[in-house]
Amino acid sequence: MEQKEAYAVHDLGLVFFPAFDWAISPDHPEREERLLYTRDQLMEEGLLELPGIIEYRPEIATENDLKRTHICIPSVSAVASKSHLIAAGGSIIAAKAVLEGRVKKAFALLRPPGHHAMRLVHGSRGFCTINNEAILIEYLRKNYGSHLKIAVVDTDAHHADGTQDIYYNDPDVLHISVHQDGRTLYPGTGGLNELGGPGAYGMTINIPLPPGSGDRELLFVLKNLILPILQEYQPDIVINGAGQDNHYSDPLTHMQVTAKGYAELTRLLQPDIVVLEGGYAIEGALPYVNLGIILALLGMDYSRVQEPNKERDLVITAPEVLETVKKEVDFLQEVWSKRRDINLDKVFGAEPYWRRKRFIYYDTDDIYEQQVDQIKRCELCSGYRVIHSWAQKRSARESRVAVVHLPWHVCPECRNKAEEAYDRLNPGAQLDRVYLQDVENDLFLEK
Amino acid sequence: MRYIIGIDVGGTNTNACLLQIDQAHQGQVVKMAKTPTVHENLLFSTKQVLAEISKDLPVQDWTALEIHLSTTLITNAIVEGKGDPVATIVSPGPGLCLADAGLSIPHSSVGGAIDHRGRETAPLDMDEVRNALRVADLQGAKAVAVVGKFSPRNPKHELAIEDLIKQEFPEFYPPTLGHRLSGRLNFPRRVNTSYLNAMVARLQREFIIKISETLQEKGLGLSPDPREALERPRRKVFLLKADGGTISLEKSVTRPIETILSGPAASVMGALALTEAQKACTVVLDIGGTTTDLSILVHGKPLAEKDGAEVGGYKTVVPAFFSRSIGLGGDSVVRYQAGRIRIGPERAGKAAALGGDNLTPTDAIILTDGGSFGDRRRALAVMKEFCQKIGGSPWERAEEINQAFCQQVVQTINEVFAYLNSRPVYTVSEVLAPRELKPEKLIGLGGPAAYYLPKIARLLAVPYEVLPYYEGANAIGAAASRPTAAISLRVDTALGRAMIPELDLVSSLSHPELFDRKKAEELALESVKEYAGQIGALHPGARFVVDEEEVFNMVRGFRTVGKLFSLRAQVKPEVIKVSP
Repeated sequence: MEQKEAYAVHDLGLVFFPAFDWAISPDHPEREERLLYTRDQLMEEGLLELPGIIEYRPEIATENDLKRTHICIPSVSAVASKSHLIAAGGSIIAAKAVLEGRVKKAFALLRPPGHHAMRLVHGSRGFCTINNEAILIEYLRKNYGSHLKIAVVDTDAHHADGTQDIYYNDPDVLHISVHQDGRTLYPGTGGLNELGGPGAYGMTINIPLPPGSGDRELLFVLKNLILPILQEYQPDIVINGAGQDNHYSDPLTHMQVTAKGYAELTRLLQPDIVVLEGGYAIEGALPYVNLGIILALLGMDYSRVQEPNKERDLVITAPEVLETVKKEVDFLQEVWSKRRDINLDKVFGAEPYWRRKRFIYYDTDDIYEQQVDQIKRCELCSGYRVIHSWAQKRSARESRVAVVHLPWHVCPECRNKAEEAYDRLNPGAQLDRVYLQDVENDLFLEK
Repeated sequence: MRYIIGIDVGGTNTNACLLQIDQAHQGQVVKMAKTPTVHENLLFSTKQVLAEISKDLPVQDWTALEIHLSTTLITNAIVEGKGDPVATIVSPGPGLCLADAGLSIPHSSVGGAIDHRGRETAPLDMDEVRNALRVADLQGAKAVAVVGKFSPRNPKHELAIEDLIKQEFPEFYPPTLGHRLSGRLNFPRRVNTSYLNAMVARLQREFIIKISETLQEKGLGLSPDPREALERPRRKVFLLKADGGTISLEKSVTRPIETILSGPAASVMGALALTEAQKACTVVLDIGGTTTDLSILVHGKPLAEKDGAEVGGYKTVVPAFFSRSIGLGGDSVVRYQAGRIRIGPERAGKAAALGGDNLTPTDAIILTDGGSFGDRRRALAVMKEFCQKIGGSPWERAEEINQAFCQQVVQTINEVFAYLNSRPVYTVSEVLAPRELKPEKLIGLGGPAAYYLPKIARLLAVPYEVLPYYEGANAIGAAASRPTAAISLRVDTALGRAMIPELDLVSSLSHPELFDRKKAEELALESVKEYAGQIGALHPGARFVVDEEEVFNMVRGFRTVGKLFSLRAQVKPEVIKVSP
């Protein structure tokens, strides 16, 4: 009976949360129905009753879980719905089960997704509001050791620009995103030259795949770039942002990956924690892709997982596509091997601060944001950060905020300077609110 | 006046009761009877107890007598692996490899595939099926089960194989078809259930005939000629099912698997029949000689197993009350191990005080509570012998045995509630308003219940109630049960299709765009009525309810193309209230 299971270590912990009562809007792809067919497939296969699987109930993420990761403007409750909090909380439950040794691996098969949510959150972009993976990473660093070496491998067809933004200058989180080339798909970013900030150069890796790439290209990147990098980096935890929209039947993308390809990827990558991201071929892909991923995580045979009518619908990828991918892989291999020797002044300039101006569009909520992001170049830590942000939502008044961010392992000098900066910045004619995010002390101030 | 005889064949005793039912459908106990269960011959015990209860029946009009029987025949056959050799033909389609699905039964796979929406994605190869059946014949199969993946969403392939069997392999006709046993999705469980159903079908047929003959002898015949019993029954004889409902004896021939685990169901029905409606979350404990069975009432309704009953290590789709059995009873073995007293799970046999040889929990109770039965000197003698090995006084040790018994029950109750509260939920509203269950009341039945219940309740700090007629309350539960039946309706307006697996129904909607929730509910209610009629569950005063409902908009390319309705409708489960 159950008491026996409570003590056994399972191969896979599953947090399945289809949020059957939540949608962005009735006709939106991110809707109630999204995981319905996946549920039907999992139920009919009797998968949840396999002895290797244990299912966990999600919990609600707390306000502090979010504030450790995001600055929600104007507040957590204004941007994140209950279902967002449950998806984030469910991801935390999955991660905890792994870290506490109750399961070998965990899969947070839940929605809504999160990988387009950046550190500052004015609203939703790319169907995402809060970043489930980043929230679980920050939870783990807070509760299981701030020196954890973490690798995120995002395999969604869209560039994981939110997760990249949060960890762009973080030397303890290696962020690898493989996606359809941004020149052909939302959000447009994720080019080869986005390689990380001055405090973490080479710790962001982007592999933009040409449209039409399939299992062969994806697995080539995995075997020749991602696995060797992970082998060298030796992370404590590998997290897979498992978007399923590289599938050949996805209505929003132009890729040719199959359910078996995803299963193969999962088997080779051996992630500790898998978090569902996008994927909107809810009938033709998700039931089979999720089945394949779960079987691969269990170390079981997935050779019989196959989409109906695959022969009819799968397009043969042109041979030139693989050639393009090989060149990208060559380039990134070189960057990775030379990342410590590169003269960062040539990349970021010789100023004491690295400043960049950015324009961010929130497509889901139709918000235009402009940012000036300034990172202190510091030899002792990754450097504190001051972000000014101006966001305009349709006819609403422009929202103007400033954020002071103190990273993990911040040095005393940067801490002093950051605290001074927070004291100096005050709400007034130019600023609506000012936020301080001090992750090490779990301290979140605003004025 | 109507009368109902209820019989429960238990692990230790077979109990019977005679209820008198008035115009308002209220029951009154007229008489109780009891006989020890003879495991090798359950029918013998049934005959014995029937003879006793039907002596001097006050019945004038013989058609006004119903017989409700809860028997362990099928459960035992499955546990002991008795029954016919079965050929199980499965059409697994793409997905999990069957070898990995935890299926322990032999099966042969054929091609063909149906997807999650019930569309045929690969055709069946009839020659392949023919070959599988020929091999089955050569290997000596006597019955056939046929199960396709997603067959509840479209039974086309299973029906085609049934037709082939009828035409070309009449010796296997009728086979058990998976989709008729459950509309719920769970292929491995459906395979198990169909296999078991086919395996015990002949046993059930023989049982029906034997019971008919027995009733004939007692002058309670099903019909004047036992050979007509199946086709033209006159007397209403029902079997109790795992979900606390009944199925008519003659209809059980096609679905014998539903009569498994009727024992725990009889206990719960007894608790429902003999008590006021329970508001608190109530634990029903049936403390017997060999086992203690635990069930739960939430808001007065029995909690059901999420996926179906488990029997003899087989997970099935058979609807069942949630129940857990602990190997702990009045006749359990008592040991002293690693400085602790441990009881069960094996049976020691009769208590020493009642003529047995070994120390049992019953002997301890007789010593400490001065039970009004048994030989106290014999109980003391075995207790003293026990103390010689481990020290302590017989009275202290007897009290320790009582405590250990109760603590083992409490531990199981706590584990069961921890499990129930960790069950996953799939909607935002359920996460926000979790239904945290905790034991708030105990109801007890079974021989030793009167002694143990107060002690267990004290440990849990909750009130308790020992049922009147607690020794035979499960027979009252069997008598107080009413028929149940359920159907699953699925309407896919994008495909323009309505499906009810239990009725073999796949029909086209004439105006899918006009189909709505109200129509879905009407169709489900009409259909469950039709189905209840087919399986003999249409009792007078039966009410029909929709108890599960799921509606999804189907969006394709930013446009709503249809709706999916999944409904479950059932004959409202009812119980005859019985006053002692």
